Amino acid sequence: MPAVKLEPAVHSTVVCDRREPAPGIVILGCRAPDLVRATHPGQFAMVVPPGKERVSTALGLYEADHDRISVMLVTVGPRTRELAALSPGDSLDMFGPLGNGFDLDALGSDVALVAGGVGIASLLLPAQYLLERGARVHLYYGARTAAALVDADLFAERGAAVSLATDDGSRGLHGYVTELLLAQVHKHTGIAACGPSPMLRAVAGVARASSVPAQLSLEETFACGVGACWGCVVPLDRSSAQAPNFPVAAPGERRDYVHARICKEGPVFWAHELRW
Amino acid sequence: MSLASAARAPDISTRLGKLELSVPTLMGSGCYGSGEEYAPFIDLARIGGVVLKSVTRLPRLGNDPPRLVPVASGLLNAIGLQNPGIDSYLENDVAKFAERPCAVIGSVAGFSVDDYAYVTERLAARDEIDAIELNISCPNVGHEGETFACDPALAERATRAARAATGKTLIVKLSPNVTDIAEIARVVEAAGADALAVINTVRGMSIDVDRVVPRLGNASGGLSGAAIRPIAVLAVWEVARAVKIPIVGQGGIENARDALEFILAGASAVSIGTGNFTDPRAPLDVADGIRAYLVKHGRSSLSEIVGAANPAFLG
Repeated sequence: MPAVKLEPAVHSTVVCDRREPAPGIVILGCRAPDLVRATHPGQFAMVVPPGKERVSTALGLYEADHDRISVMLVTVGPRTRELAALSPGDSLDMFGPLGNGFDLDALGSDVALVAGGVGIASLLLPAQYLLERGARVHLYYGARTAAALVDADLFAERGAAVSLATDDGSRGLHGYVTELLLAQVHKHTGIAACGPSPMLRAVAGVARASSVPAQLSLEETFACGVGACWGCVVPLDRSSAQAPNFPVAAPGERRDYVHARICKEGPVFWAHELRW
Repeated sequence: MSLASAARAPDISTRLGKLELSVPTLMGSGCYGSGEEYAPFIDLARIGGVVLKSVTRLPRLGNDPPRLVPVASGLLNAIGLQNPGIDSYLENDVAKFAERPCAVIGSVAGFSVDDYAYVTERLAARDEIDAIELNISCPNVGHEGETFACDPALAERATRAARAATGKTLIVKLSPNVTDIAEIARVVEAAGADALAVINTVRGMSIDVDRVVPRLGNASGGLSGAAIRPIAVLAVWEVARAVKIPIVGQGGIENARDALEFILAGASAVSIGTGNFTDPRAPLDVADGIRAYLVKHGRSSLSEIVGAANPAFLG
């Protein structure tokens, strides 16, 4: 999406810090100065822990300062449990940065960031980018419980307004984060969102109803992460500039969409171009 | 072995028909894009070649997502041959393959004998394409895509048609989803194939027990990765006893020892697919590991160990 395009690479790093801000949520910091320099807000890396059964997991790049980059993960299965078990000093391969991040310059001067769960990880660098350029930033952040709302203070420290929501009402609004967004969407010039698919669909609905443009960072299972296997596609409007020369039809079909790769053409797409 | 020959790096070059490969590693079709996707992570001059994603006569949108399900020691996929069709492919994509510093092998899929002949002829006519792999074994496009690899008469006709359409090296990719893969291999050899790719993915399914539906948009898919390696090694073993043409062994290769299993069973080259997803440098480790194995066993060339574990190896 953005004009910035730096070459990805394999980065053999070492875990330098590990934080568990909530049960099951782990933040791993690594020394990777080249990766820090190359990363645009909203990009991700394929992360491969050491060990016999090497399996890669796509994770959004969370913090990037000087020579340290971090990823945030929630333990859901064997792969993420293996990553969560890493300690400082363990080696960790990351190949990236991958995908296209947010086109933040296209979102105007007052941007709503909408995060669901660990989707928060893909929004800190965008917040930083926007605030450094003088834009106003308002984070709308929802999670299941108060404990699962992590690091909202990092956004506030940088100068973002913060509104919270929880499914169980243990902190902030008792309800969905999109209800918070809906109440204030008209003051914003643009929306950038990352979270589970139902939340992103709801954000797309708010964006459509309010005519505020929105960019959504989609989550999906990736195999290659580099655009080689075509396993992570999403239906996208055939007129989208993100999918040129893509096949629009199989024999006997008349479809008005293309299948774009989330890892390559995305993971960030304009909400109004998705045909899901 | 003399000191002089011991000091020389072993020769791991191999030959598939007219195609000479300095390194016996191909990157599997559908797993490596056109090669450029992996160029940031590996020096493509150090792999043998890339087998391009399959192209068909007409454009194909591919299957509805989800197209991937990670499973124990493997990956289920059902992409459905998404591709721009041969017209757009020749116009927009093929020219840039000339930049690749390795062999470039076009992959042709089809739904009729005429499709295979037509697409092979047009693709193979391009100088950027060094050889053709005939994908007669895609498990993810209804039953029709795989029919050609599962019926000896159809496999024979598709191969003969493609053979007539090009003089370049013709590799035919076989399906493991058959009763007797050796029988298919024999008729494909007789029909003029220069080499065989053994195997394509193994048909499989995963069901979401909470939602009570198959996980893949296409319901069924093809299984790849370490889970299928023993199936693939046996298939190579059986095919190597049935034909004299070279075999490209593939199915779950992640490192040199995996690759050596295939070579010792009778493969003259290996192909790495899913293995690249977790380690884009795996092909370098495979090549280096094969060289080290040859040195350790006092051999000077790859050809000395092809089929070494297979007493009835014909090649």
